[in-house]
Amino acid sequence: MLAITNKELIMLEKAAHEFSRKVLFPERENNDKFPFGPFFQSTFEKAFDLDFFHTILPESIGGLGHGMTALCVLLESICTEDSSLGGIIFTHSAAMNLMLATGSQKELGPIMAKKNINDVLIAIPVFNNPSETNHLPEAVPDGETYCLSGPVDYLTLGGIAGHAIVAAKTKNKTGYSFFLVDLSQAGIRKSDPVLSLGLRACPSVDTRFEKVPARLIGEEGKGPDYFNKMADRMHTAAAAMSLGIMKGSFKEALDYGKKRDQGGRKIIQWSEMKMILGNMAVQIKVSDMIVTQSCNAVDNRDKDWEAGSRAAALHVQSLACDLTTDGVQAMGGVGYMKDFGQEKRFRDAKQLQALLGMCPVKKIRYLEKMI
Amino acid sequence: MISRSEIKAFTQKTPSFDDTFLGLKAISRQPSGMSKETRKVIALARKFNAEVVRPLALSLDITMQKDPTHIPMDFVNKANEWGFYTLWIPKLFGGQGYNLPSISFFLEEIGSECLAMANLIGVHYLGFAVAVSSWSTGLINRLCQDTINGEKTGKPCLMSLALTEPGAGTDVEETDLMDKGSVACHAKKVEGGYVVNGTKVFISNGHLSHWHMLIAFEDLKKPSASTVMLAVETGMKGFSFGRMEKKMGQKGCPASELMFDNCFIPDANVLFNSDQGKHFKRSLTRTNMQIIDFYFAASRAAVGAFGIGAARGAYNLARDYVSKTEMNGSLLINQEWVQSMLAEMYKNVLLGRLAYNEANYATSMHGMYKLIQQKQLYYITKYTPRIIFEKLIQPVLGNSLVLWLVRKFNFDMQTDEEIELTSGLASLAKFAGTDAGIKNCHMALELMGQAGLRHDMRAEKCLRDAKLLQIYEGTNQLNRLNLFKCLIAKDFTQATVFEEN
Ligand SMILES: Cc1cc2nc3c(=O)[nH]c(=O)nc-3n(C[C@H](O)[C@H](O)[C@H](O)COP(=O)(O)OP(=O)(O)OC[C@H]3O[C@@H](n4cnc5c(N)ncnc54)[C@H](O)[C@@H]3O)c2cc1C
Repeated sequence: MLAITNKELIMLEKAAHEFSRKVLFPERENNDKFPFGPFFQSTFEKAFDLDFFHTILPESIGGLGHGMTALCVLLESICTEDSSLGGIIFTHSAAMNLMLATGSQKELGPIMAKKNINDVLIAIPVFNNPSETNHLPEAVPDGETYCLSGPVDYLTLGGIAGHAIVAAKTKNKTGYSFFLVDLSQAGIRKSDPVLSLGLRACPSVDTRFEKVPARLIGEEGKGPDYFNKMADRMHTAAAAMSLGIMKGSFKEALDYGKKRDQGGRKIIQWSEMKMILGNMAVQIKVSDMIVTQSCNAVDNRDKDWEAGSRAAALHVQSLACDLTTDGVQAMGGVGYMKDFGQEKRFRDAKQLQALLGMCPVKKIRYLEKMI
Repeated sequence: MISRSEIKAFTQKTPSFDDTFLGLKAISRQPSGMSKETRKVIALARKFNAEVVRPLALSLDITMQKDPTHIPMDFVNKANEWGFYTLWIPKLFGGQGYNLPSISFFLEEIGSECLAMANLIGVHYLGFAVAVSSWSTGLINRLCQDTINGEKTGKPCLMSLALTEPGAGTDVEETDLMDKGSVACHAKKVEGGYVVNGTKVFISNGHLSHWHMLIAFEDLKKPSASTVMLAVETGMKGFSFGRMEKKMGQKGCPASELMFDNCFIPDANVLFNSDQGKHFKRSLTRTNMQIIDFYFAASRAAVGAFGIGAARGAYNLARDYVSKTEMNGSLLINQEWVQSMLAEMYKNVLLGRLAYNEANYATSMHGMYKLIQQKQLYYITKYTPRIIFEKLIQPVLGNSLVLWLVRKFNFDMQTDEEIELTSGLASLAKFAGTDAGIKNCHMALELMGQAGLRHDMRAEKCLRDAKLLQIYEGTNQLNRLNLFKCLIAKDFTQATVFEEN
């Protein structure tokens, strides 16, 4: 990201960058085979050891207590090579953010303190805004807790996490509420990982809950408020992921353009190719400025930071879809092949555009907030 | 009001009436039976979609994800059983003789359900088109007979095009670039044939085709004037398959590496070479470009149709999704913004279809289909009993006089303007259709949100599959430049193409 001066952030960026280059890059194609190949558990564990999952967690519960800038620096660097890991960190961070938004720090602490790293993970359907879902599960009070019944589709990390945050309807309230569910309980049916367009090693599963005990987090019926609070922040992180993809795509296309000969010269010497790459470079510069500005605004709670964060995501995600299309194109046939990173970035960019709800609906909601 | 000479002068000005309203002119020239036939082809494609393509599309895609070396013979056998590999082979060569432009409609239909499967059928006709572009009637007939026998015996005999090399993709599609680039597939003339050394990559249907239209070069320093077109048979000594590519999409259709190591190809398998080329009115380089334009004018229109297939598939999926999905108590389809997006997608489909039709009209009146789509000949071939072709016509197709006549008509009587028009419009159809395909896939995924990301909802496959269309048969950038070269530059003597400093 532009102009990072904070020493800690510089170190984090360096660590994430090294990790991307040395750990993620060499195994990218293999890791992307999931669910038809093994899950990249050891990579995931290494990232965990490097505290990549703890950036935004308050220090009081074992985190690093960093702000949005740190999370974005991390996600951007990781996503230059493999956004699947970025997706896992994003999902887990979104879940933690949601718990913090509901004031559930107390419940979060013990989960974060668990030994097994999968038990620390929290699943949440991040490619969805519960307000846009027709069939939320029902939550019925059962003493101190609730029992959840019904489907939760496309629960990201649902197959590998210890807990999940699930939106459900309660009888007496119009909105929906959020619940924390221990995924090891009986009564939860999980599908195989859903084969998806992108972020394949950040798996989602379809689940069906049958009277599963769950703990209400926050107040009943206030789910949409909590979701929006979380989404306001996390949209900037989503934009940073797309920015990382854009940078990776540009770099690979540029490097290839300098190596590949056609028509008796390096393809980068054709002005048509310069135009494509120039366009990509401009898109990246603009996106970089947007993400940097948005991180600052979120961390400093500048006026209207929420709108800025959402607009940043919508704009950068859309640019990323265009840019990665060109990123494949700039490499001709090899851009379409799995041996290179471009095709995955193309898929991942499109997948990321659906984070936190349908893209056109997010634009409409954005406007509606203004009027 | 306006004189005859003024009408002529004004309509000849750019954009010339003849070059921009091809449909108007073509319709009256077109045999009326063609439209009935095309209707039948579309119905057949839809039936095949319902019975074969739709039920198999997702599972074939998954099979290939699990095992990228799988050869989709089951599907090819089915397409063979349905007669699709001979449907567009002219009756002259023993095929079913359906009108050639109708293949675009067919491919749009199949492509709307699965582009990989459309390609498994369509690429055979790319190979065939390349063979036809040589106008080597005797050899074309031999290849076609193999396909026809393959249909009878249940052993599909497909054709492929082996043009692209590891070091030359864009370069081998343009003679202007060829000589500056570094092509490497060498054909050395020896007694009785050629010895070929080199590698071809990304060859669609390579592993499952029997005949490969190989483009090689006698003089690697001057390939544009020394192109050799050879028909190579799977199993020939010195010819082997290398890797199968691991692609993002169109997984069901293999892209293969073809390797030639001192592979001897007899003279009988030469479709075209410099010796034959020197008898035509154009230079060898220009004749070789004419050949490239012959086949790409036909096949790029078909790729435009693939693109519209993708655009339509994406549109169908999005439309069905929003018509059933409620958000905040109302169906998405009743939201204005959704209606507007659907209208935009619909527009993309329709305009792209018009574009590939215009390109096909151009090819019918001025390009490869000119002879066969000619009204009288169309009806003669349609109603002449097959036996007449078998007994009287096919035996003389290898005759040198026939060869000379056919080539004279196709090579020398095609004007430069006709070449430019057919090639330019095909490029337009290619990039317009395939860009529309990508556009609609993006829009479908946006309309479907989370659901669109799932393999079982098909839209994500549509996007993965469609991206390839912007790359093969010349990247869309190359096709834009070709359009410039063919349709714009002619009015500017100072304009040069592929020569910038
Ligand atoms: C899955 C698949 C199937 C295929 N099937 C076949 C087949 O059946 N038979 C066959 O022969 N080939 C086939 N191809 C090859 C295909 O036609 C080529 O990939 C395509 O022509 C591009 O060539 P390239 O990949 O070498 O890219 P390159 O030519 O290396 O191009 C790389 C980039 O440089 C740009 N570029 C190159 N030259 C110029 C220039 N002069 N000016 C401006 N920009 C330029 C290109 O537009 C592109 O963006 C297939 C390819 C794929 C991926």
